[in-house]
Amino acid sequence: MSRRVYLDHNASTPVHPEVLAEMLPYFSESFGNPSSVHGFGREARAGLDTARERVARFLGVAPEELVFTSGGTESDNLGVKGLAWARGRGHLITSKIEHHAVLRACQWLESQGFAVTYLGVDEHGVIDPDEVKRAIRPDTIGISIMHANSEVGTIQPVAAIGAIAREHGVPFHVDAVQTFGKLDIDVAAAHIDLLSFSAHKIYGPKGVAGLWIRKGTKMVSVQHGGEHERRRRAGTENVPGIVGLGKAVEVRGREMHDERRRVTALRDRLWEGIRARVPDARLNGHPTERLPGTANISYRGVESESVVLGLDLKGIGVSAGSACTSGSVEPSYVLVAMGVPLDWAMGAVRHSLGRSTTAEDVDYVIESVEPTVRKLRAAMPVGAA
Amino acid sequence: VRYSPALLEHFLNPRNAGLMREPDGVGAEEYEGCGDLARFFLRVRDGRVSEVRFQTYGCGPTIAAASAASERVRGRAVEELLSLKPQEVEDAVDGLPDDRKHAADVVAGALRAAALDALRRQRGGVC
Repeated sequence: MSRRVYLDHNASTPVHPEVLAEMLPYFSESFGNPSSVHGFGREARAGLDTARERVARFLGVAPEELVFTSGGTESDNLGVKGLAWARGRGHLITSKIEHHAVLRACQWLESQGFAVTYLGVDEHGVIDPDEVKRAIRPDTIGISIMHANSEVGTIQPVAAIGAIAREHGVPFHVDAVQTFGKLDIDVAAAHIDLLSFSAHKIYGPKGVAGLWIRKGTKMVSVQHGGEHERRRRAGTENVPGIVGLGKAVEVRGREMHDERRRVTALRDRLWEGIRARVPDARLNGHPTERLPGTANISYRGVESESVVLGLDLKGIGVSAGSACTSGSVEPSYVLVAMGVPLDWAMGAVRHSLGRSTTAEDVDYVIESVEPTVRKLRAAMPVGAA
Repeated sequence: VRYSPALLEHFLNPRNAGLMREPDGVGAEEYEGCGDLARFFLRVRDGRVSEVRFQTYGCGPTIAAASAASERVRGRAVEELLSLKPQEVEDAVDGLPDDRKHAADVVAGALRAAALDALRRQRGGVC
């Protein structure tokens, strides 16, 4: 095994060299606590301020509306729980295909007396804005819908949903962890009130993310302590990480539009190549309204984890839609919500491309998938799934 | 390393995979927890396994365990397979992680069922 191809960019990405270079001094030289008044603290504070301004400029928002967190999961928890707790009781609307950070936060809120509607999706994984409208009740206090799904890449009509939310005066949270820095997001035009985003999906470091909260949105803090982040998120800021996030955003501003075109073409090359060579393969997700780098492909009659293992042995990193852990396996809840039949859902493999992916990488994956799936099918009973 | 070299080698190059025409014994086992399935076909000559084929549906370790076990049982007395233990299957792939032990259970169960089927047919019992 010599060649290595990473097609799991929706899981995480390598830190961009420019990002790493910008972060390094904040570990050992400008290491102060940004809350400290002395020069060491002020140096760290300056790094934090620059990062905040960069993110604000990128999103077209005010710097003071941003809260830095420890990850997309924390951002989603703060967004959903912060909205709900600030109102004490009421009804939330979300979808069945949200990230677990939103889904489980909502489930927990249900256990605390809140009501939640989980909207379904169509065969492509799209939420119907009319269903959002129909789900709104007099006591609806929040709507949380993801911008794009991490598994299948389907992009949601957030602008249409935002217009409905605004019309009804309901705050609108968008989990944009998979789209931030990949697609244009106009929070004003889409009537978004809260937006979760993360660094490590866009060539920044892990363990740092953010939540944009529109000024005037009634929120409460989820974790308590010091006065950090304008009392919306207690805890000393992860300065090197936030500096990295700021730099990653700046780099995305330069690179994302060209990269989107390039990666979309590679994504389509991958699917076309696999479709031409592998029988009984299908693409999951929306055919066009989809993340540039995401191709979720099902191989009927094989179990996805064995495909992942087979490709791993050829140096290729992809991820399985279903996972057999502790002796139980469930097909992806996203694919189930989309109505994908079980024998297809169990064989779903996500390929997510990124800035370093080349045409040669894609061709190598296409060449590797065909024999891997063929050999697995030879050992598998037809219709056993 | 999550999987042993022996396991990976069997996964990459499964031996005796596929169907068998007119077998003397067929047996299957499914692991309810995750739907992993193994089906074994035996050819029996003079009370011993002369040929083995298998089909599996499941994660990599299940395929590898079936392949390794298929090599282990050839030449063995069919009656002996009635008491085949999962541990022997696991040993054939140099061990399994805790969350993949079911691979050995499924393969051992399917081989025991195939052996029982072969003996019943031999004795004119109900298949």
